Amino acid sequence: MRLLVEAAIIVVAGALVGVAANAASPRPVQLASTVHAAAESGGAMCAISGAPAAAPAPRIGVEAAKALCDACRAGFADARGASDFAAGHVTNAIHLPPAGHPDERAAIAALRAYPLVVVYDGDYRCALADEVAHRLLREGLPDVRVLEGAWPAWVAAGGAGESGFCPACLAHPHAEGAP
Amino acid sequence: MTRALAIMRVALGALFLYAAATKLPDMGAFAESVANYRLVPSALVPATAVATIGLELALGLFLVTGRLPRATALVATTLLGVFTVGLAQALVRGIDLRCGCFGGAERATWLTVLRDVALLAAAALLLARGPGRLFPLRGRAPAPPETAPAADG
Repeated sequence: MRLLVEAAIIVVAGALVGVAANAASPRPVQLASTVHAAAESGGAMCAISGAPAAAPAPRIGVEAAKALCDACRAGFADARGASDFAAGHVTNAIHLPPAGHPDERAAIAALRAYPLVVVYDGDYRCALADEVAHRLLREGLPDVRVLEGAWPAWVAAGGAGESGFCPACLAHPHAEGAP
Repeated sequence: MTRALAIMRVALGALFLYAAATKLPDMGAFAESVANYRLVPSALVPATAVATIGLELALGLFLVTGRLPRATALVATTLLGVFTVGLAQALVRGIDLRCGCFGGAERATWLTVLRDVALLAAAALLLARGPGRLFPLRGRAPAPPETAPAADG
């Protein structure tokens, strides 16, 4: 009995430590929110279980998106999970998963600087990018498209990412008229 | 044997502390990893993630310092058992996911399960045989399993 009481004390202490650690974390979890399984790879697991599928947003082909990226005329929003984003993303893309950005207002303001925003997903069958695209459209962004073929197509096309294309975007991250 | 148990306990505690430390900078990412296991309802994922990291921190501290050794070993065994079952069920179900074990993007494989089984065995051994004699017990003789409560102090 005493063993179980001590174990319970450890569990409660751990939970309290966790709450304190979360408050101190640079990227905490919103305890009142819900976190859905995100796309980790191809397949039906990308869908958000129980959530109604978002209507498809307007699409943009990868070559057109690449050209806009190279000309710094499009902002990119990454709708994948944080670990996928950390592993590699479009240069200067803003991490904006369906669950939201830690500084949503600033993220949307940064995207608003572009005439067009491209949202991409981890898998072309996923609804995550559509969901984010609709959210941005509701925020009043004028032109939001979902990248056809998603991140795998971007990588296959040699788009700016870990390989480091689009150097102009690095120098002028939000310049609408940058070369 | 007691020294080996003590070293095992401290090493396991250090591993728990390291695991928690890798998750602290981005607890949101760990919550996503928890969600991808599809073991808990999405509304409970944030609380589960926070509690797991806190529990890892607490277990690490208790294991390293040797406080409440049997209860710590019991909780560690249970937690590692949950980790092992969670990983295995995801792999059996064909869910392709990040492990989430030490932050980063480590992919879950059967080798990850094997690693968890080894850690689970270590925790179970501490539960069955006691914490060993290293500094936290301050000279108390290690107790055999049947006299465990007296050794917990």
